[in-house]
Amino acid sequence: MIVRTPWSRIGELLTSETVTTALRLSLVVATAAAAISFVTGFPLAWMLVRGSFRGKTIIRAAVVLPLVMPPVVAGVGLMAAFGRRGIAGSWLYEWFGWQITFTTGAAVLAATFVSFPLAVLALEAGLRGLDERLEDAASTLGASRWYVLRRVTLPLMAPQIAAALVLSWARALGEFGATITFAGNLQGRTQTLPLAVFERLQTDPEGAFAVSMLLIAIAFAVIVGLRGRFLR
Amino acid sequence: MRRIAFVAALAMVLAACGVSGNAEGPSEAGLTVSGAASLTDAFGDIGAAFEGENPGVTLTFNFGPSDGLATQINEGAPVDVFASASPTWMDAVQDEGPGVSGRADFAKNRLAIIVPSDNPAGIEGIDDLAEDDIALVIAAEGVPAGDYAREIFANAGIADAAMANVVSNAEDVRTVVTAVASGDADAGIVYVTDVTSDVADPVRSIEIPDEINVIATYPIAVVSGSEEADLAQRFVDYVLGPGQEVLAEHGFLPA
Repeated sequence: MIVRTPWSRIGELLTSETVTTALRLSLVVATAAAAISFVTGFPLAWMLVRGSFRGKTIIRAAVVLPLVMPPVVAGVGLMAAFGRRGIAGSWLYEWFGWQITFTTGAAVLAATFVSFPLAVLALEAGLRGLDERLEDAASTLGASRWYVLRRVTLPLMAPQIAAALVLSWARALGEFGATITFAGNLQGRTQTLPLAVFERLQTDPEGAFAVSMLLIAIAFAVIVGLRGRFLR
Repeated sequence: MRRIAFVAALAMVLAACGVSGNAEGPSEAGLTVSGAASLTDAFGDIGAAFEGENPGVTLTFNFGPSDGLATQINEGAPVDVFASASPTWMDAVQDEGPGVSGRADFAKNRLAIIVPSDNPAGIEGIDDLAEDDIALVIAAEGVPAGDYAREIFANAGIADAAMANVVSNAEDVRTVVTAVASGDADAGIVYVTDVTSDVADPVRSIEIPDEINVIATYPIAVVSGSEEADLAQRFVDYVLGPGQEVLAEHGFLPA
């Protein structure tokens, strides 16, 4: 791929409007997906570690499912749920006139769906490895639950939180199958970098190689960044 | 007794396998045919008929957008026959790729507007596609059906307004049909032949007037370097001969 990349044209290719628009959209979608995965994944991970209730194993299996599911199947599932005639989608459309499919929101939803399990798994591992006595000690000293969470639990889990964010962000950045199935392909709205690579490949393979190199560079930067911090 | 019966049955099955394996059958040969997505149904039928008349021959179809198929061939995919929905991508294989032989136009096609059967946006003609707040899906640029759709918008003088309504550039023309059939798109532009019996229920088609419409020409050819060049040429001849009737049944026009 390095050989096939048209290095003489790479500057022009990577600064073309298609690529810069797709890059910007990719960063927005991946960041939103990672943020949503963290905010919703944390309470769920908490429940899975600290809670005791029936059906916990089933919930855990359901959480991990998107990780092993073919992404295009995830897209089909999202369409069945949130399409204009989908179970939830038809209500949203009739009541609020909202259509999710073919919007940036759909791209975020697709990316969140596939990156969410990674966040939950990382946070779960963090919570499990936590010494609960430290939290208990803080409570005994009169700290409120919110204060304990903010000043004791979260700081102790910082490495796992960072891992959860980086892993889900990276997975969201690479998302393709669910996105093209559920969110469609429109420049500036749902055409993320992987979709731009795919569309380019149909007509201009050299251009696709150049954009692929960009994605590899981002992935590489993430790995290098992770190495320095948590993967020691 | 039962066990004996079982062993006997097993022996018979094994013997049968052995016999069929040793039999002097017709020579085995396989062809890979890359065809435009719009040919999926028609070529499926033609392929079955061709296999029926040529025992031992197995056809493998690779349907997709013509631009993507041409790129695959030019990147070295082992394809014996290429059938494109536009001369452009046959030219690409002929001039920039491995080259072709026995090239001929085998069909023509027109385009139509499709809407979900309940037609939520109330679309009745091409001009309605220029109205505000319509979710329109067409094939991507470079995909023949996508380029033809853009040409039609220009012919109708609604290029800017219609393109502003496009919510997704589908990877091939059949994906446009899916988006409309699921009700997520208010309208799409596809070939007349894409409104197959499978989608006759969820999808309604609306004609595009001749003076605005585009006529798509489909060329077919043997890809140079095919290891089964003779058989590939026979398939091409078959499409140009008996296959014409099948294409007509599927709504294609003669070339």
